[in-house]
Amino acid sequence: MFTEATVTFIALGAIFAYSFYAVLVAGQLSLGQAGFAGIAAFSAVALVPEPEELGELPTLLLAIVIGMVVGAVAAVVLGLPTMHLRGVFLAIATLGFAEAIRILILNMEWTGGAQGMSVPKILTPGMAWVALALVAYWFWRQGHSRYGRALEAIREDELAARAMGIDVGRHRLSAFVAAGAVAGLYGVLWAYYVRLIAPQDFAFTAAIDGLVTAVVGGSTMFLGPLLGSGFQTMIPELQRAMGIEAGWIRPFLSSLLLLVVILFLPGGLASFIPRRTRMPTTPSDEVGSDHHGLSHRRHPAEGETVAEVRGLAKEYGGVHAVRGVDLEIRSGEVVGLIGPNGAGKTTLVNMISGLVPPTSGTATVLGVPVGRTPVHKVAGAGVSRTFQHSKLFARLSALDNVLVGGHLVTRPTFLRRLLWLPSARREEREALAHAARCLNRVGLADKAATRAAGLSYGDQRRLEIARALAADPSLLILDEPAAGMNHVEAAALSDLIRSLARDGLTILFIEHNVGMVLGTCDRIVVLNFGEVLATGTPAEIATNQAVIDAYLGSADEDTTGPTTAEGAGLS
Amino acid sequence: MQQLFNGLFIGSIYALFAIGFTLVFGILDRLNLAHPAVFAVSAFVGIGLVEEAGLSIWVALALVFVVGAILGLLIERVAFRPLRNRPDAHFAGLISSIALAGMFIALLQAYFGPNTRRFPAGTFPDDRFELLGARVTLMQALIVVLSLGLVVALTWLVGRSRLGRAMRAIAENPTAARVLGVDVDRVTATTFAISSALGAVAGVLFAINVNSAQLGMGSAIELKGLAVIVVGGMGSLPGALVGGLLLGIAEVFAIQYIGSSWRDLIAFGLLFLILLVRPQGLFGSRKVREV
Repeated sequence: MFTEATVTFIALGAIFAYSFYAVLVAGQLSLGQAGFAGIAAFSAVALVPEPEELGELPTLLLAIVIGMVVGAVAAVVLGLPTMHLRGVFLAIATLGFAEAIRILILNMEWTGGAQGMSVPKILTPGMAWVALALVAYWFWRQGHSRYGRALEAIREDELAARAMGIDVGRHRLSAFVAAGAVAGLYGVLWAYYVRLIAPQDFAFTAAIDGLVTAVVGGSTMFLGPLLGSGFQTMIPELQRAMGIEAGWIRPFLSSLLLLVVILFLPGGLASFIPRRTRMPTTPSDEVGSDHHGLSHRRHPAEGETVAEVRGLAKEYGGVHAVRGVDLEIRSGEVVGLIGPNGAGKTTLVNMISGLVPPTSGTATVLGVPVGRTPVHKVAGAGVSRTFQHSKLFARLSALDNVLVGGHLVTRPTFLRRLLWLPSARREEREALAHAARCLNRVGLADKAATRAAGLSYGDQRRLEIARALAADPSLLILDEPAAGMNHVEAAALSDLIRSLARDGLTILFIEHNVGMVLGTCDRIVVLNFGEVLATGTPAEIATNQAVIDAYLGSADEDTTGPTTAEGAGLS
Repeated sequence: MQQLFNGLFIGSIYALFAIGFTLVFGILDRLNLAHPAVFAVSAFVGIGLVEEAGLSIWVALALVFVVGAILGLLIERVAFRPLRNRPDAHFAGLISSIALAGMFIALLQAYFGPNTRRFPAGTFPDDRFELLGARVTLMQALIVVLSLGLVVALTWLVGRSRLGRAMRAIAENPTAARVLGVDVDRVTATTFAISSALGAVAGVLFAINVNSAQLGMGSAIELKGLAVIVVGGMGSLPGALVGGLLLGIAEVFAIQYIGSSWRDLIAFGLLFLILLVRPQGLFGSRKVREV
C-alpha cells in the first residue's frame, strides 16, 4: 500500500495543496496554481542542462530555483491586475489565466506541444519529503507571526483589517506570490518524478484537485494540506488494498467521503488536531512594564489640533448625508457626536477615518489629508476606530483580535521566526503582553481564549475597543460603543473613556445614550440633517432649544429625508 | 454567413448552459460546480431514453427537463443547504458540489459504461433548408429557437412573476426576505431546479449537435460556461445569452482565421480582458460595498 510512488505522491500532492493554502489563509480563492506549476515546470526543464553535465542533485536544485522564480514572477504578473477582484471573480480570472497558459504551452514549439517533454527521473521519495518539510516549516512559522495574523485578519474582515493599519493589497499580493513560488516548486518536482510532462498535467482538473486537497485538509491550520494529501492519495490505495473493484465504485466512494468531510468537518481534517491557545507569559496586571520592543508613537501634545474638518460634505446619489461640516478636535479632548438617526454621524466619522472619500471639503487628521490617503495610512498616522456594527475577526480568539490591533506598534516577525531568532520570540512575547494589557483594560482578561464570535454582545463591543486601543492611537473613534449595553455597563464604559482621556488620548465618539454623552464628554457636537446644529459643553447642549427640538420633534417638523440618508449611506 | 450561423448554434448552447450557472450565482452568490455533471448526466439519460426505451426525441427532451430539475433539487438539498451559515461557504460549496458531481459521474459510468455514446441515427429529422444563403438543419434551428425561448421565458419569470420577485429579494438580502415571509428554502430549491433543468436540456442538445456524449463532456463546457457568465456579468440573464452567442461566434471565426488549436484561447482572452476592464461584466451591475 505504501509503495514508493504513493509516498512520493503524498508529498507532491501536499506541496501543491500548500500553494492553495498560501492564499486560502488570506481568504483568497485562486485556481491559477496549476498554470504557475505548468509554466514553471516547462521553463525549468527547457533551461536546465541534462543531469549528466551537472550531476543529478545540482540539476534538480537549479531547476527548483528556476521553477520557483518563474512561478513567483507569473504570480506577480497575474496578481497585479487581479488583486482587486474578490471571491469567485478572482477564482475565475486565475482559472482563465491558467487555461491560457496551458493552451500556450500546447501550441509552442519548445514545449513539445501535446506530446510534452520527457524529463529524467531524479526525484526520490526522500527528496520529495525534504521539500515538503521545508514548505510545511515555512507555513508553520508564518502562522503565529505578525504577517500570518494580518493575513488571517484579512480573511475574516478585510475592511476592519485596513482600519487596523494593514496594507491589504500588499499582503494579498505577497500571499499570492508565495502561492506562485510553491506551485512552481511542485511543478518542477512533479516533472522530475513522472518522466514525462504534458500540458494536460496542469489543466483545470489538476487545479481542482489541489483546491480540494487543501480544503479537505483544512485551510486554517498549517498541517491541513498534508492531511488532505494523505487522505486524497490514500483513499484509492486503501480501496485497492481492500479489494474494491475499480471502475465506478472507487471514484464514487472517494467523492462520497469528500462530501462527508466537507459537510461534517467545517475545519477540514485538521480540526481533529487540538490547537493550543497561546497566552501571555507575563501577568497581565503588570501595567507599564517593559514593552520597549513595541514602537512608540509620538502623540500630539495637549491642545494641539488633532483633526481639522472644513466644509466636509458627502452626497449619495443626490441625498446629502453630510453637508458643510466644520469641526476641530484638539488633543486630549473627549468629543461626543450626537444627533437623530440619519443625521450623518457615521458618514462623518467614516470620512474622518478615511473609509469614505468626501464629495467636497477637506479634512486633515494628524497631518494626513483624508480622502486621498488609503485607510491603512490614516490608521498608521494614529487613527483607530470601532464600528457601529461590530466588525471583529469572528473566528479568531479575543486575544488574537487584539494582537492584530497591535499591528502598527509591532515589527514584522515572520522572517526572523523562520530563523528562530530570539529577538522575534521576545517581540512576540511583548506583543502578547501588550494585547493582554489592552484586554485587561476593558475587563476582558478572562475571555482571552474565547473566539470573538462566541462573546456576548457587550463583550464584543468592549473587545473592539481593546483592539482599537492596541494600535496605541492618538485619536480614538468609537461608533456607538454603548449600543445594547445596560446602564451598569454603560457607566463602566463611561469611566473607561474618562480614564483613557486622562492618559492623553483624544476621543471622538458617537452615542445615542444622551445621558452618557453628557456625563462623559468635554464637548458635544450635535448633527441634524447632515449639518452641525450646535456645538458646546454638555451644560450648553442640555439647555439648547434647537437640540431639544431636534430630538423630541416639534409639531411642524418635516420628518422625511434624513432616514433615507442613513439607508443609502454607510450606516 | 454560414460561419455566423454556426457560431450562433454553438453559442446558444453555451448560453443555455451558462444561464443555469448564472441563475444560481445571481441568487445565492455561489458557484454550483455540479452543473456540468448535470449536463453530462442528462445527455446520457436522453440517449438511454431514445435508444432503450424507444421514445421520440421530443418526449425524451421533456423527461430530461424533469430529470434535470430533480437533480437540481438534490444538489441544493445535499451540497448547498447544509453549508448555508458557514463562514467559508464560498469554498465549501464549491467543494461539496464537486464531490456530488463526482458521484453523479461515477453512477453514470456504472450504468452506461465508460464509452462514448451517440443518439441512434435518425433520432432527429434530418431536414435542411436555406436561409440567407446558408444551409441550416432543422436541429440547428431548433437549438436557437429553444435557447432563445427559454431565455426569454426565464427573464420574464425573474422580472415579472411572484417567484421571480422572491428570487430577487433573496439575492438582495436573504434575512430580510425571510422576515417578509418569503420561503427562502423553497425559492432557493426552485431556482436550483430551474437552473439544472436548463443545463439538462443544453446537455441533450449538445450531444445531438456534436453527435457524441462522453463522461467528461461537462468539464469541457464548464470553463466556457464560467467565461460566458463573467463576460456577460455574473447573475445577469441577458448577459449570459449575449455572452454565449458572442463566444460561439468568436470561436467559429477564430477557427477559420487563426486556426483551431488557438480556439480555446479566445474564451479566456475575452474573459481576462473583461475582468480587467469591466469586472462587473457587460450587463452586470456593481454591488456597493457596505461598511
